[in-house]
Amino acid sequence: MNGRPCVDAAPLDEILAHYPASETALIQVLQDVHRAYHYLPCDVLAKVADALDVPLAKVFSVGTFYKAFSLVPQGRTIVRVCTGTACHIRGASRLIEEIERQLEIKPGETTEDMGFTIKTVNCVGACAMAPVMIVGETYHGGAEPAKVAKYLAETEADHEN
Amino acid sequence: MSGGANDAGGKGTMVTLTIDGRVAKVPEGATVLDAARAIGVRIPTLCQHEALEPWGGCRLCLVDVTKKDWRGWEKMVVSCMFPAEDGLAVSTATERVVATRKAVLDLLLARCPDTPLVQKLAREYGVERTSYRENPEPTDCILCGLCTRVCDAIGVSAIATVDRGAGKEVAPPFHEAPPDCIGCLACAEVCPTECIPYQTSDSARTIWGRRFEMVRCPHCGRAHITREQATFYAGRGGVPESYFTTCDACKRTQMARTFTTLSAVR
Repeated sequence: MNGRPCVDAAPLDEILAHYPASETALIQVLQDVHRAYHYLPCDVLAKVADALDVPLAKVFSVGTFYKAFSLVPQGRTIVRVCTGTACHIRGASRLIEEIERQLEIKPGETTEDMGFTIKTVNCVGACAMAPVMIVGETYHGGAEPAKVAKYLAETEADHEN
Repeated sequence: MSGGANDAGGKGTMVTLTIDGRVAKVPEGATVLDAARAIGVRIPTLCQHEALEPWGGCRLCLVDVTKKDWRGWEKMVVSCMFPAEDGLAVSTATERVVATRKAVLDLLLARCPDTPLVQKLAREYGVERTSYRENPEPTDCILCGLCTRVCDAIGVSAIATVDRGAGKEVAPPFHEAPPDCIGCLACAEVCPTECIPYQTSDSARTIWGRRFEMVRCPHCGRAHITREQATFYAGRGGVPESYFTTCDACKRTQMARTFTTLSAVR
């Protein structure tokens, strides 16, 4: 589909083995697919539809509905910067500028080596920790532009392990 | 539910309610909208279709309901989904019902400023122009979901809503020619604003960017069905494909001939 090369199906087979072949498992399967591939590849979606016996249109509908899912490849680590009111006031924009400088991409974009994707989020509900920046699964409260390189390096180290 | 599903042989329990002061008697299980239509009270709807389960999406069929023991309390409900009950008093045109419908139409008109059906309904409620900012990319799709629901009901599910919020639209998967579509045109047929484009001729039919080959009736030669439709219906019902490739008019002629022969034999 889309003339794109097929992705490796092995992780998908493993994911599908964990769930019953029914529509009820759709969102969990898509979440696991997203974690394994860092996005929802279209040929994988077609296989999910087949395996769970859900119409492809439904799978696409769910995949496009939730913001947690992306249909374009994402970096291995998602860098989220909170731009809610509290974070904005406490310097979210300076954080974004520093991340943009370090990774040489803008919010919504992914580095060429597929390492990082920058995203801005409206509020993560941790205003007391403002400004908040989330690298992968790690929350950094009171984030400082000067420490951005360190935050990013920590996950890079994770990747290498 | 629609039309009174529990009305088995006319012996089901009947409920009595009033609509705008007029008495309506309908089978239990019928909706308030069914009851209103039964006594000729008009309630506007956009997302309702008698062949489909009620959905309550367009919010145009809102009415006020109350009961004697509710001590004057009224609530607004969508009449297409609210079950008719004994003693229910329905008002279809109270001030707040009209104001709410007007607000719904105002919003619809902002989304679809050039759509004749929306313009007509809005005008009926005194909305000539939307009070909101008009959609810079006007669309005729009101997102009533009739097309996707009819597609699901047929068992095809070739199209669905895609994205959410302001970007929500009806589309086939990946915005490409839908692999599951059988070209039956039910989606285009059911669309209240006729916004699903298609072309059909004796040789081919195109919808959702997919081209279908037409099959001719073996008796009269009329091209009335796509190859995919015939195969799908035959596969689902266990009836031979030739039953579906024969057009309805020819089927009736054949049936009439059979009856004539039978009566002659008798």
